[in-house]
Amino acid sequence: MLERPHGVCPRKDFKFRLLNGEHEYSASVAKFVTGEADELPDAVTAEAVSKRFSSTMAVNRLGLRIRQGALFGLLGPNGAGKTTTLRMIMRMILPDEGSLRVFGEPLSSRAQDAIGYLPEERGLYPRMKVLDVLAFLGGLKGLNGSEARRDAMAWLERLEINDWADKKVVDLSKGMQQKVQFIAAILHHPRLLILDEPFAGLDPLNAALIKDIMLELHGAGVTVILSSHRMEQVEMMCDSICLIDRGRKVLDGVLAEIKRQYGKNTVRVEFSGNADFLDQPSVVEHVNRFGATVEVKLRPGADAQELLRRAVTNGTSIRRFELIEPPLNDIFIEKVSERA
Amino acid sequence: MNKLWLVLRREYVTRVMTKGFVISTIAVPALLIGIIVLQLVIAAKRPTRTETVAVVDCAGGVGNWVRRALEREKLPDGQGAFQVSRLVETPTDIAAVRASLTSLTRTGALGGYLWIPRSAEAGGQPEFVTRNPGWPLTMESFDRAVSQGLIAARLQRRGLDARFLSKLLEGTHVRVVRLTSGGKTEDWRQTDAAAIVMAMLLYGSLMIYGVTTMRSVLEEKTTRIVEVLVSSVRPFELLAGKILGVAAVGLTQFAIWTISAGLFAAYGAVVARAVAAPGAVVPNLHVSALTLACLIAYFAGGYFLFAAMYAAIGAAVSSEQDAQQVQIPVSLLLVGSILLFGVILRDPSSPASVALSMIPFFSPVLMIIRIGLQTPPLWQIGLSLALLAVTTLAVLYASARIYRIGILMYGKSPSLVEMLRWLRSS
Repeated sequence: MLERPHGVCPRKDFKFRLLNGEHEYSASVAKFVTGEADELPDAVTAEAVSKRFSSTMAVNRLGLRIRQGALFGLLGPNGAGKTTTLRMIMRMILPDEGSLRVFGEPLSSRAQDAIGYLPEERGLYPRMKVLDVLAFLGGLKGLNGSEARRDAMAWLERLEINDWADKKVVDLSKGMQQKVQFIAAILHHPRLLILDEPFAGLDPLNAALIKDIMLELHGAGVTVILSSHRMEQVEMMCDSICLIDRGRKVLDGVLAEIKRQYGKNTVRVEFSGNADFLDQPSVVEHVNRFGATVEVKLRPGADAQELLRRAVTNGTSIRRFELIEPPLNDIFIEKVSERA
Repeated sequence: MNKLWLVLRREYVTRVMTKGFVISTIAVPALLIGIIVLQLVIAAKRPTRTETVAVVDCAGGVGNWVRRALEREKLPDGQGAFQVSRLVETPTDIAAVRASLTSLTRTGALGGYLWIPRSAEAGGQPEFVTRNPGWPLTMESFDRAVSQGLIAARLQRRGLDARFLSKLLEGTHVRVVRLTSGGKTEDWRQTDAAAIVMAMLLYGSLMIYGVTTMRSVLEEKTTRIVEVLVSSVRPFELLAGKILGVAAVGLTQFAIWTISAGLFAAYGAVVARAVAAPGAVVPNLHVSALTLACLIAYFAGGYFLFAAMYAAIGAAVSSEQDAQQVQIPVSLLLVGSILLFGVILRDPSSPASVALSMIPFFSPVLMIIRIGLQTPPLWQIGLSLALLAVTTLAVLYASARIYRIGILMYGKSPSLVEMLRWLRSS
């Protein structure tokens, strides 16, 4: 049996195992463990995948490469085709055209077992007991009953809802139900974890708890796909992204590289007093205002010093003046308007 | 296969462990037993006491014969059915006699009076005036007695010796026996009851378990857990596990009923005989092996057929209200088989009956009645089962396709055209 070099432990005596016994992926995992990660097949490869629902093209000739071990952000506004793409990766719906591979293999029910999924629309059997639901869902992913119960109990403890293990789901608060659903997604030690808007509806405390576990799993080698329309959230966590809009890919790649392409063409200014220095059409392309802070996109070739000089001349008090890479949100808007 | 089993087991366990299951398991037989006991009690209310009547013979010469015939009629327990308290022959004041008898009848002192008109021998119709024309059994024997009396009077008038007359007129009752495939004979009224009970049972369980399947599919859809499920299991496995799981619940319920029915059969019969009036017909729901085999086969075929349709509806709609609407056509198919009951009962082997019992959506209920009433030729049973099986497979196939697409679609219920498009899509 192969075990991860560093495990994620919901409890000290509980070792996170990637696999249970022999498995079709053991060869590729062995490579991962021995550091030959470059030779690993991608976690997800999509080639020219399309899906049409009656009159609308939900996904249009989408190409995608997600390498193993990535923390990948799938971004786009509501209705862009994110959920449809995820569903096709999980073989919940079949693409009309194109091919999809998970860990280098065409989709099969064994590939499904390697994926953990937290859907955007959460739901559990309301009248079943928490532990029974988890054991059932774990079983559907190939865990045996006692194993599923033991691991589920450990995760319930980690998420501090173990007192509710024998309660019916309907008696749990919404936040607790979300935690249970998250456990269902990770219980079977998936190699690919797909989280669709994982922080929606969670209070900050629980969101942090879920985020920590997600990062821990990622640290242990699990590939994570994070789907969201909240750009700023994904920007902080993901190493690579794909932006989609109306079913088409707008932009993808390693986040740092994407940003580098755009260069440090934005200035973040924290100030108080006179804001007239922002009215310089020769230097400023547009301004994002957040109250006391503004993000100023400079015209190509414009000098940021010009902006600072003007502010000082105007007597504006500057607390912070920083050249930054453009926020993902701006890149997205720019890309989408380019297409339009 | 393993996942299908998990789905089946969850469906089964969560349904059997509910109060609803326990209640319905107890309530249905309780209701059936209740109805049977009620019928026995009502049957027991049939005349057990001698009815006091008066006879008015306007022409004369008939009254005595009628009186004798009436007093020969016996109740099931052996006592006389009628006692003629007054016999008025050729009354002078017809109106006064009628008035006094009418008032006696109205107060209940008299069960009723028989009025034999002057023209009776020439075919004039006698009348029986009573507050309670009620029970067919009473009227049947009353009718017979009056007829016999009149015939005797006529014969005597034409010169037959009165001494032989009662002997000559002695009638009998015809006992109807039925020829079954096993060569046995049974009381036909009882087979009727057994056939109807079986058909109703089949109808009820197809309806209940079909709707249960629909609800179960819809519940997974509305709670959205289906998203997680189909990321782990193929939709077909999910659908099959669900339908089989609900079937297992149904079979469990039937097993409980059959076993307890077996245990209580002897005891129940004793109780029934005690409750029922002496001589009353105690329903004997004897079922032959062939009938039982057919019952199981038609339950299986019918259940899978209707459960598949109900499941597709559960998957296509997004709310319980929509489901109520969309399920109507399917439920009508089931109700239709009950509405067509009469055709079979009138003549189980008429061309209409044979044709109806071949139509897959009706055959589970209608063929079971035919089998219960009068074993149809085996080829007819075979053909109807084959048609049922083929239809069921086709419907299961279509339903699986609708299910696969429907469970991930939310919002407005799809139109029939849309559902047909789903059928065609890969």
